[in-house]
Amino acid sequence: MSFVSFVNIQNDTVNSMKQSIINSLDLIEYSFAKETKNVVIKPNMCYYWDYTTGQTTDPNFVAALIEVIREKISPRTNISIVESDASAMKCKYAFKLLGYEKLSQDYKVDLVNLSEDKTKTTKVSSGGYDFKLQIPQTIQNADLKINVPKIKYSVPKVKMTCALKNIFGCNPYPKKFKYHPQISEVIVALNKALNFDLCIIDGNRVSGIQPRRIGLVMASRDPVAIDVAASKIAGINPKVVRYIQLAANEGIGTTNIIHRGIPLDYYKAIYPKRGIQKTLRRKAFELITTLGLNKKLGLE
Amino acid sequence: MQRVRLGIIGLGYIGKIHMNHSLKLPNIDLVAVSDSSKKALSEAKNAGIKKTFTSYEQLLHESDIDAVIIALPTHLHFQCAIQAAEAGKHIFLEKPIARNVEEAKGIVTAAHNNSVKLMMGYHLRFNKTFHELKTKMANGILGDVEVAYATFISSGPFFHRSESNTPLPVPDWWFNRELTGGGALMDVGIHIINLLRWYFGEIKQIKSHLGYRFNLDFEDSAICLIKFESGTSAVITAGWFLQGYQVKIEFFGTVGHAFAQHSTKSSLRTLAQRLTLSVPEFYQPHFNELRYFANCLIRDSSPSPSGEDGVKDLEAIYQAYHNNLHLD
Repeated sequence: MSFVSFVNIQNDTVNSMKQSIINSLDLIEYSFAKETKNVVIKPNMCYYWDYTTGQTTDPNFVAALIEVIREKISPRTNISIVESDASAMKCKYAFKLLGYEKLSQDYKVDLVNLSEDKTKTTKVSSGGYDFKLQIPQTIQNADLKINVPKIKYSVPKVKMTCALKNIFGCNPYPKKFKYHPQISEVIVALNKALNFDLCIIDGNRVSGIQPRRIGLVMASRDPVAIDVAASKIAGINPKVVRYIQLAANEGIGTTNIIHRGIPLDYYKAIYPKRGIQKTLRRKAFELITTLGLNKKLGLE
Repeated sequence: MQRVRLGIIGLGYIGKIHMNHSLKLPNIDLVAVSDSSKKALSEAKNAGIKKTFTSYEQLLHESDIDAVIIALPTHLHFQCAIQAAEAGKHIFLEKPIARNVEEAKGIVTAAHNNSVKLMMGYHLRFNKTFHELKTKMANGILGDVEVAYATFISSGPFFHRSESNTPLPVPDWWFNRELTGGGALMDVGIHIINLLRWYFGEIKQIKSHLGYRFNLDFEDSAICLIKFESGTSAVITAGWFLQGYQVKIEFFGTVGHAFAQHSTKSSLRTLAQRLTLSVPEFYQPHFNELRYFANCLIRDSSPSPSGEDGVKDLEAIYQAYHNNLHLD
């Protein structure tokens, strides 16, 4: 059984977010180790989507977390914000466009493009597959690794994105579509290899079927438990999310949750869940793709 | 000339739209395309285009091509348009005409010296509702238009934003002001500047306030105040921050008020239109402008918007950059 906390954010200010993060950590009985020197924060920087879309982590939320870390550990704690290049996104632009370059200057934290970091090769097995993964040095050297994901819907094969899936972005290899045939297994393998210590979800604004401010912070040490809770909020049965089940089977965490704070059902009721129109549209797109008509119709 | 034998240079987002429309237009024979991407050329071959080239110089050497569409990144317009003019090819050039006024004037001069026609790609000029607005003005239904509002806000070069399943990479040149000449005002603002010039004539003065939400070296939004020589005042808004695409024009005259817009439809509606219509509603202006360009060549008439329009629009943009109000 793992603790998962649910806390409300009063408003969009850094101070309000900071207090909510502190409350969420208190509820899971988390305390920072004073000897911590190097902290890695992995936000979600999917493409160049502004945080107001609910697709990417709000830099102000990360700013609030930095203030918490510096207050609870030491003002001199080294903090690195990490992300990697992807097929359609380059970190050098994402850091700038999404406001992380400014955050880096304001808070004196490092921005690390993991695709340019030194790496060490590690063999990891997951779901019956063996993977050779590149582990970035910045993550290896960190003594505290914090995952700061979003709650989002994803492509049919993945279904949803939250804590476990966010770690897929720590894979330094840019052409990530190479891993899509075994996406669930790779997600789990990366979580095994990188072993993040703490998950804090920026659920202030979520995407869902449309962006909405639901003012949520969730925290847990367990990425499986927090993903189970997040999938329930998004209206997805966690048993149908393959990588969540696989992660539980591989011992990364547990699907049994101990709720702390505001009831999950409150956020489930206000999350902008998929409706029939979006589902039909997705099914139609899948059918068109299956029939090979997507290119002909210009719907790639 | 019964049909225009056409070549398309550049098969990016807009180049592919022109390719699809060229294949459907009865007054165009799409002879060849060029692009540096072999994948794009392979798609063109599959669409039935016989000649494909990895360099536009090769395409320009083809003797069976009357005209070319130049749909390249802005910084390549000058060199390509000059070479096309010197090769005797009529030119349809995507906006903005060039990254600076000097290059823009060079293109116009080259077209003139080589006696080739030059038309600028401003598809909004071929939108049905914007034409109806022009007719209302001409018929005096609005009286004298005292104030006009025009807005073009989209996701700009950051295509496939959060409404999409598969985001596409943004080419590096979009992030380099030296190559683009500017930001949102240059990219989408130029459309409505051209449109308002069509309605109200020449610009007397233009001032701007530029926005930098995305921390780039160029503006991602702009609000401009314009005074036309005709006396009309206008406020225009251009931006790249929206998860969508909206173009809106609103006129307040001494007699009446009018409104027109061009925007994306729901994906279900667009899909239905793709299945049932030759060209979906959203792309109809692009289709119309290409048909018009071909007709101008067949009838030997001068196309509008012209290269000179392209220069004037660019001059207005640079005047706006120069007259930045720098509001806090």
